[in-house]
Amino acid sequence: MPDASDRSFFQIEQMAELLTPNKLAVRIALGLFVLGAVMFLCSLIGTESVSLKAVFAGGAKAPAVNPDYEIFVRVRIPRIVLGAIVGAALACSGVVFQALLRNPLADPYILGISSGAGLGAMIAVISGLTWTLFGRSPIAVFAFAGALGTVWLVWLIGRLTGKFHLTGLLLAGVVVNAFFSAVIMFLTSIAEAEQVYATMFWLMGNMMEEDFVVLWTAGGCVVAGTVALFYLGPQLNALSFGEEDARSIGVNTGRTRAAAFAIAAFMTAVAVSISGLIGFVGLIVPHGVRLVLGPDHRQLLPLSAIVGAIFLVVADTIARIIVAPAQLPVGVVTAIIGGPFFLLLLVRYSRSVGWLK
Amino acid sequence: MRRWLALSLIVLCWVAVGFAVLSRLDVQDQAQQPAPHHAERIVSLAPNLTEILFALGLDEQVVGVTLHCNYPPAAAEKSKVGTFWQPNIEAVIAAKPNLVIALRFTQQKDTIERLTRIGYDCLMVNVDKVGELFKAIKEIGSATGRHAQAAELASSLRTKLNQLSALMASNERLRVLWVIDREPLRVAGRDTFVNELIELAGGKNAIGPTVHKYPPIGSEQVIACAADVIIEPAMAAESLAEQQKTAIEYWSRFKKVPAVANQRVYVIPPDTVCRLGPRLYEGVETVARCLRPELFPD
Repeated sequence: MPDASDRSFFQIEQMAELLTPNKLAVRIALGLFVLGAVMFLCSLIGTESVSLKAVFAGGAKAPAVNPDYEIFVRVRIPRIVLGAIVGAALACSGVVFQALLRNPLADPYILGISSGAGLGAMIAVISGLTWTLFGRSPIAVFAFAGALGTVWLVWLIGRLTGKFHLTGLLLAGVVVNAFFSAVIMFLTSIAEAEQVYATMFWLMGNMMEEDFVVLWTAGGCVVAGTVALFYLGPQLNALSFGEEDARSIGVNTGRTRAAAFAIAAFMTAVAVSISGLIGFVGLIVPHGVRLVLGPDHRQLLPLSAIVGAIFLVVADTIARIIVAPAQLPVGVVTAIIGGPFFLLLLVRYSRSVGWLK
Repeated sequence: MRRWLALSLIVLCWVAVGFAVLSRLDVQDQAQQPAPHHAERIVSLAPNLTEILFALGLDEQVVGVTLHCNYPPAAAEKSKVGTFWQPNIEAVIAAKPNLVIALRFTQQKDTIERLTRIGYDCLMVNVDKVGELFKAIKEIGSATGRHAQAAELASSLRTKLNQLSALMASNERLRVLWVIDREPLRVAGRDTFVNELIELAGGKNAIGPTVHKYPPIGSEQVIACAADVIIEPAMAAESLAEQQKTAIEYWSRFKKVPAVANQRVYVIPPDTVCRLGPRLYEGVETVARCLRPELFPD
């Protein structure tokens, strides 16, 4: 029987042969091109028809002179860019959580980020705060703090159960999630109807256009996070074979885990604070990409980010127009189109790819 | 290690550049807000605000309303800018408004903040209580240059309400249970405009002070409150007849409650009693008719 480290070396070498840098660069470039095309097409679709000619005529000083320009540049483009940022962040951190927890059911929300952020948002709504921090509303700030605070808490409890004991970490996440959900339920039951309604929209995913500076900052954070995780790709590959194997080929598992975990949690918190809770993206996009293109993290991370962005932009465009003039929560659309599509991929590819065995 | 440092530095620079360049753009936009002017194209984001605008004679100037704005009938003909809960910002902009009027609460406030950021003139009013309705009418009147009409509308409404209250005041106050939802059972509490409506109509709320504005209650409280009259606004005007039928069935389980024993459960049309607008008088009169049918012979 071969030694564990021999086996891992062999598998990693095999991966390296399968994925040359050239191949990766071509795939990323192709993905970015498709993303650009999809974003452009989606920006032409909306409840109001917009003439591109009027858009290129530019904005006027006074409002309502060129509504086409205002709708396109001030409403639609920011929202589509927001969708791309959030989709990329969720899909990319979904990859990391699945790799770190070695659990195919993991998604960015599994360790309590969703309920922590939800609780933060709920507290902000109920307390009726009105200040802004760098142009962000209290809901966004509290959701961000709630998300990071909860992850930190879960991480801490997980550490107490034993060093990187995955089951301990997962259980801590599930229980903290349930506990905070109960607190949210309690607050919902005592809050006023109008506040509850506002929070409900947020909990179901609340996409609306944002200031350019917010998009710029969040976009920068998400791109940087993706690049940073890409740096960790080889270590994550080793980790996905198991703790022992990774250590035997010289990976500092503790540091890799902590770094990847922190970056993924941060990206999720950024996404949640600007868009509320959008489910499903972080679960099915990583699986879909993995099923089609294989489990190498150097490829999985950037391509999941790109596919996640495309997926959420398309889903949000459908959410914007399908029940016009009202809107659907985008989470409904991600689940309805994502679910069947994912099952299709699962049946088509799972026989040829080894992830699920 | 070096590439991590480089990455962090790039992120920091990126954010700094963003704040230096883009946040200044946003501030400029806010500074460009034009001065008040004549409101020629008005978008209303709430049914009661639409009713106020039409009552002020701004029929022509209103260019966009919500899907829920069905009164006066002419309002239903205007182009739609989404629902009350979810205004569609693209549709609002496409209506080319120079004044957008909304209520001051979270969902509407979000839309108004976004429109203000782009540079649109917006007015938010509070209409949670009867007193605030009179204030809102005046605010809308001055924002649209209809001061005289607004003062007239407010004073005629006040006079009619006073007359009706005087008529009802001579009677003993009946205990009214105002039902919002049946399953689960939710009723109007003290801190609501419905409570004011009941008192203007000469009744009193059968439910005492509660934590919730619209408290969910159990069968125990229904029996304990000993309501003389139960009033249920219908979910929609069209479902009135059907809801009347189901109401008799539902309330028959509380035979001990005086309202049920004396067959004084009323299902009434919703719009005038759920919207705090210029038709408030009609709403109060509807409730008064339920309480003292003998005072309204016609």
